[in-house]
Amino acid sequence: MIISRRAALLGAVAVSLCKPALAQDASWPSQPQHVFVGFPAGSSPDLLARIVTEPLAEKLGQPIVIENKPGAGGVIGVQQMLNAQDQKNTFATTINGPLTTAPRLTPNLGYDVAKDIAPVALIATSPLVLVVAADFPADDLAGFVAAAGKEPEALAYGSVGKGSGAHLTAELFSDRAGVEMLHIPFTSYAEVTTAIIGHEIDCGFMAPSAAMQYAEVGKLKILGITSEKPFAQAPGVPVMAGQAGLPDDFRAELWNAFLAPASTDPVVITTLNTEINAILADATVQQRLLDMGWQAAGGSPEDLKQRIAEDTAVWGAVLDRIDAKN
Amino acid sequence: MSGWDGFLHGLSLAAQPDVLIYCVFGVLLGTFVGVLPGIGAMATISLLLPITYYLSPEAALVMLAGVYYGSQYGGAVASILLRLPGTPQSAVTTLDGYPLAQQGRAGVALFTSMISSFSGSMIGIFVLIVLSGALARAAIAFGAAEYAAMMILGLVAASTVGAKHPAKGLAMVVLGLILGCVGTDVNSGVQRFTFGQTELMDGVNLVALAMGLFGVAEVIANIRVAERTGVPPRVALRELLPSRSELRRIPFPALRGASLGSFFGALPGTGSTISSFLAYAVERRVSRHPEQFGTGAIEGVAGPEAANNAAAISAFVPTLALGIPGDPIMALMLGALVIHGVQPGPLMLEARPDMFWGLIASFGIGNVLLLILNLPLIGIWVSMLRIPFRWLYPAILIFVCLGVYSVRGSSFDMFAVALIGLIGYALSFARFNPALLLLGFVLGPLIETNLRRALLIARGDPMVFLQRPIAAAFMVVAAGLIVMSLVQVIRRQSNRAV
Repeated sequence: MIISRRAALLGAVAVSLCKPALAQDASWPSQPQHVFVGFPAGSSPDLLARIVTEPLAEKLGQPIVIENKPGAGGVIGVQQMLNAQDQKNTFATTINGPLTTAPRLTPNLGYDVAKDIAPVALIATSPLVLVVAADFPADDLAGFVAAAGKEPEALAYGSVGKGSGAHLTAELFSDRAGVEMLHIPFTSYAEVTTAIIGHEIDCGFMAPSAAMQYAEVGKLKILGITSEKPFAQAPGVPVMAGQAGLPDDFRAELWNAFLAPASTDPVVITTLNTEINAILADATVQQRLLDMGWQAAGGSPEDLKQRIAEDTAVWGAVLDRIDAKN
Repeated sequence: MSGWDGFLHGLSLAAQPDVLIYCVFGVLLGTFVGVLPGIGAMATISLLLPITYYLSPEAALVMLAGVYYGSQYGGAVASILLRLPGTPQSAVTTLDGYPLAQQGRAGVALFTSMISSFSGSMIGIFVLIVLSGALARAAIAFGAAEYAAMMILGLVAASTVGAKHPAKGLAMVVLGLILGCVGTDVNSGVQRFTFGQTELMDGVNLVALAMGLFGVAEVIANIRVAERTGVPPRVALRELLPSRSELRRIPFPALRGASLGSFFGALPGTGSTISSFLAYAVERRVSRHPEQFGTGAIEGVAGPEAANNAAAISAFVPTLALGIPGDPIMALMLGALVIHGVQPGPLMLEARPDMFWGLIASFGIGNVLLLILNLPLIGIWVSMLRIPFRWLYPAILIFVCLGVYSVRGSSFDMFAVALIGLIGYALSFARFNPALLLLGFVLGPLIETNLRRALLIARGDPMVFLQRPIAAAFMVVAAGLIVMSLVQVIRRQSNRAV
C-alpha cells in the first residue's frame, strides 16, 4: 500500500509537470488555497480531505493548506470557512451533519445552509452496518427484529453521541422496522464495539471499517448494511433494504462533501467540480478511500444540493420522532 | 510468539539504524517540547503527521511515540523550576518539585524526576510485555459501572491531595467538577453553560485551563516579586545530585507510582493525569511524614513522575489492542497508524507483529536514550533559572499562546487562557490549590458520563454499582477511605479537647 502511494505521488508530480490547461477565469487560482476541515488532524474526515486535496493541488497548480478547526461535530470548520477574510480562495470539506442536522441541533449555528453555502461536489459516502455480539441469539435481520420487538427497549444500542449518524440511523431503522430500542450514547465506535463484546449493550450501527476486523476474528456478527448495494469493504454482508419488513428504499449513509462560500464565482465552482470528479474517477484514489471505509461518489453541484435537501428532510423527521419520545 | 520472544524480535527491528535515528530524533524533540509550557506532544505530533507520509511506517510510529513519551520527561522540568507544568500530566509535580527548587534543590528534584520517569517507563514496558493480553481483556470487562465506581474512588482518594485546608481543597474540586460540566451533554445533546458560544460546545479546553491556571497565573504572580528576587546563585555540580538518604527515598514511591500508572494508563479514558494525582495521594497516605508534602518531599516528585510515565507506556495497550485511544494524543497516534495502513485492534498482534513488537522495543531503547540525554542536561535546565525574568516570562507567555492555539487553531482559546490566568492568579493569591481544580475538571465528565451510562444500561437501577463485583469493590474502598478520614478528623478533635 505504501509503495502504491509513493507511485501515486510520483505520478501526480509527473502530471503536474505537464501543466494542464484549465478552462477558467485566468486570475484564479493565483494564490495558495485554504480548505477548512472541522475535525482534528489524523481523523477520518481529515485523511479523506487530504486524499482529495493532494491531487487537487497538483491540478490547480497552487498549494492547498488544510486548516483543521475541530469542534461541535464539524460545525466550527464550516463557520471558519464562512468567516475567513479571503472568500475567493477558501473552501471546506465536511461530513453531512453540519449541512443536514446541525440547523436543528446546534444553537447559534451562524449560517444558513441554503443561503450561505455553495455545494461543490459529493466526495464519498459510507454506509453503516448493524453489529451484534458473536453469541447473539439471532443470525439474520429477521431474527434481530423479532428479538428487538419482544418488548419496548428489549435491546440497547450504542451510538457515537446524540444526533450522530449512528444514533439517527438506529432510530430510522427502529421506526421503519416498528421496534423500540434503548439508546446509549458513547463517543467513538471503538467504545461501542468494546461495550458490545463485553455484553454491556446488545447492538449498534457503525462504519464497516470499525466492525469488520472484529467480525473476522468471530467476536462480532454483522447482520446487514444500510447502503442500496453491497459494499466492497464489507463482503458478504446483506443489504438491509427490503428485509425483515424494512421498505425497499431504506437507505442511511454518512457522506463527505466539498463546499465553497455562497459568494464563490460559479466558474470556480464548475472548475473545482470537474477536477474533483476527475480525481474521484482515479482507481488509486478510489482504493485509498475504500481502505478507509469510504465509497468515492462525485456528481454535479446540483446533485449535492439535492442530497442535502433529501437528507435534511429524512433526518429532520427522525429528529421529530426522537423529540416526541422525550 | 510469546511476549519475550516478541520483544527480542522487536529489539532487532527497532535497533536498525534507519529506525533508531528517528527514535533519537523523536525523544529529543519530545523532551524539548515537553519542557516548553503549553507546547506538548499533541501539537508536535499533529505537525509531524503529514511528514510521516515520507517515512517507513515503523520509523514514523517510533518517532511519533518517542515524541509522546519524551514529552513526559520534559514536562516535569518546567513544573519543578518554574511551577509551570510543561504538560497537564506533570501539574502535580509542581506541588513538591517547585518548593524543592526554591530551597536550591532544583537539581535533586530534576534528578528524582528523571530517575522516576525512567523506572516508571521501564516498569510500564515490563507490564506491557507480560500482561498486554490480560490488560486488554480487563479493559473489556470494565463497563460503565466499573469506570464510574473507579473514578469515584479516584476522586475520593485524590481529594486529600491538599489536605492542609480541607474546605479550600473541596471548593477547588467542586469548582473543577462544575467547569467540567460545560459543553454538550452527551445523553440529551443539551448545551450546558455555553452561553451560545459554539467554541464551548466541546467544553473548556484542557490545555487552556492547565496553562491558564499554572502558566499565566504564575507569570502574573512573578511580576510582583520579580523586582525583589535576585538571580539565583550558580550551583556546584555536586549539589545537583541527591544525597544518599535522599536517594533512598526514591525507589518505593517510584515503584508504587509505576504500578498505579501501568494500571490506569491501560484503562482508556483515565490516563496519565489522573494516575499522577493518585500516586501523589497514595504517597501522602503511606508516608510517615505527610506534613512534608507540599513543602518539598522527594516522594511527592518520585511517585507522580513514575506514574505518568508508566501510564504513557501502558496507554498503548487499549490503543493498539482495542483501537480505543485513551486520550486525544493517543487518538492522534491511532490516526497515524491508520495513515500507514495499520489497523489497530484485536488483530494487530497477529496481523502486524513486527510493527507491534518493534514499537514496544523502541520504547525500551527510547527511554534508555532519554535517561542518558537528560541526566547531563540537568545542569543546563537549572541554569535556565538564571535567565532574567524580563526575558524568561514574556518568552513563556509566547510559548503558552502558541501551545494553546496549536491544539485546535482556535483564537477563542487564547482569550480563554488569558481569563483563566487571571482567575488562577486570584485563586493562588487566596491560597487555593489549582491542581485540585484540574483534577475535578478531568474526573468530573468521566464520572458523569459513566454514571449516567451505567444507570441507563441498568434501566435506572442504582444497585448495578453493588451487583457487579469489580464496581462493588471500588465502592467499598471509596467508602472505607471516607470513613477513615472521618475517624481521623474526630480523633484529632477529641485529642485537642483533651
